[in-house]
Amino acid sequence: MSLFDLPFEEPDDTQEDDSKPAPAPRRRILTVSELTAELRTLLEERFFEIWVEGELSNCKVWNTGHLYFTLKDKTAQIKGVMFRSSLRILRFKPQDGLRVVARGRISVYDPKGEYQIVCEHLEPEGLGALQLAFDQLKQRLAAEGLFDAGRKRPLPALPRKIGIVTSLDGAAVRDIINVLRRRYANAHLVIRPTRVQGDGAAMDIARGLRAIAKVKGVDVIIVARGGGSIEDLWSFNQEVVARAIAGAPVPVISAVGHETDVTIADFVADVRAPTPSAAAEIVVARKDEFVARIDRLVQRVSAAMSVRMHRQIAKLRGLESKAGFSGMRGHLALRGRHADELTYDLRRALQAGMAARERTYQRLRLTLERFDLRRRLAAVKTRLMAGDARLHSTIRSRTHISHARLGATAARLESLSPLAVLGRGYAVCWNDDRTEIIRDAARVENGSQVRVTIEKGELTCEVKDRKL
Amino acid sequence: MDPTIKDFETAIAELETIVKKLEEGDLALEASLQLYERGVHLSRFCHARLEEAEKRIEILNERGEARPAPPGFGAENGPAKGRE
Repeated sequence: MSLFDLPFEEPDDTQEDDSKPAPAPRRRILTVSELTAELRTLLEERFFEIWVEGELSNCKVWNTGHLYFTLKDKTAQIKGVMFRSSLRILRFKPQDGLRVVARGRISVYDPKGEYQIVCEHLEPEGLGALQLAFDQLKQRLAAEGLFDAGRKRPLPALPRKIGIVTSLDGAAVRDIINVLRRRYANAHLVIRPTRVQGDGAAMDIARGLRAIAKVKGVDVIIVARGGGSIEDLWSFNQEVVARAIAGAPVPVISAVGHETDVTIADFVADVRAPTPSAAAEIVVARKDEFVARIDRLVQRVSAAMSVRMHRQIAKLRGLESKAGFSGMRGHLALRGRHADELTYDLRRALQAGMAARERTYQRLRLTLERFDLRRRLAAVKTRLMAGDARLHSTIRSRTHISHARLGATAARLESLSPLAVLGRGYAVCWNDDRTEIIRDAARVENGSQVRVTIEKGELTCEVKDRKL
Repeated sequence: MDPTIKDFETAIAELETIVKKLEEGDLALEASLQLYERGVHLSRFCHARLEEAEKRIEILNERGEARPAPPGFGAENGPAKGRE
């Protein structure tokens, strides 16, 4: 139809113009397209850059990624569009009911004969855009349950490797390293350098979080940045970072800015540290505190065990004296009624498993002691060696007569032990493999071997005769 | 190390339980000894774990590889920078 688009005159009978045939004002008849084109030119040139305030309504993001909306006040409204590229850099989410100031230009959409504002930027009225964005994201993530106390994971008491996501150029990384070195010198750190401000920083931080979680042995992550303005810290208020923290397979400590700065990352993190230095203090206790704590526990275990041993031994000693062992001193051969009593009591004592148990106890006690020695007095080689020697002799001999060499405590225990009777000349007779004490001559065969434990050493004997 | 010990914190927790049981003291001697033995193992495990971590700083590169940080990295007075 454009062929006929030329303006031309045409008689028009409906036209009852009074004007004579005279110079009729040339009627200029436009096509709709032409008119629209002129309007477009007019509007677009005139309203090239405008600011307009109003309330948002009918906000809808299409699957093209563009936002369509209506901006209105009490008596008028205008349609608007914000293209994906502009929408993407907007820090808050346009919502119905929000009062905004829009910057943009007027554009005419020919096919529908509509004009609209093509919006390049939106600012919420009142609150700053950042604050609004912060509130909106916070609200949304809270509604998803991302801040729930139940999601917070406990930190490992003793991390194997500490992952750190931060900039290598900032003070944060140095603060963390220095504090950790003081508290736990042999901590193993893995740092994933990231940008911490500016375009793309949030994506970088999120990637860093995911990358460091994949490092074998990393069981806690610190995501950190030193102090700065709200704009500087903004990456930590972005959804990608929040999601990466929430999705981390190990606990995350956030340490962003100063004590007064609170970011979305802080809400999602398992633990919020007020500063990077504080994060280093939170991530692992002082090493010497650990050591002291374990030592206290070990001391209590040892003390409790020692008390139990002494109690048992005292019980047995009661038996011993009741049986009149003391009167038997010096006797080598065990005969008659006293012998019966004696064997009876000795049997009772040994039945109680005291000997074996005491051996176990001493072995363990020495293990502990030796380990302790090695740990505390690595420098004092001589003492360590003495400790080793004592231990080895105890274990190797596997007899209960080596107690005398085990130091003061062992000596004290020994003095109470039923086994001390060996020192007075008594003997204990075992079967050949030392699994059983021979209490009855009928238990052995002529010609078989038995072992006899005496005060100093052991005899292997052959049974020649038995008196049953 | 010892497959029956899961990690540092469970070891400490178990050690605490053992202390409590032993201090309550109404166990048979045999059982006490077993606990004591376990306690010795646990304490050794804990101390070993405390010493085990290597004093190391590594930097993870874009390919996900951990590389040792340059010497002096993060030192108190020096620059924190690790990239040249």
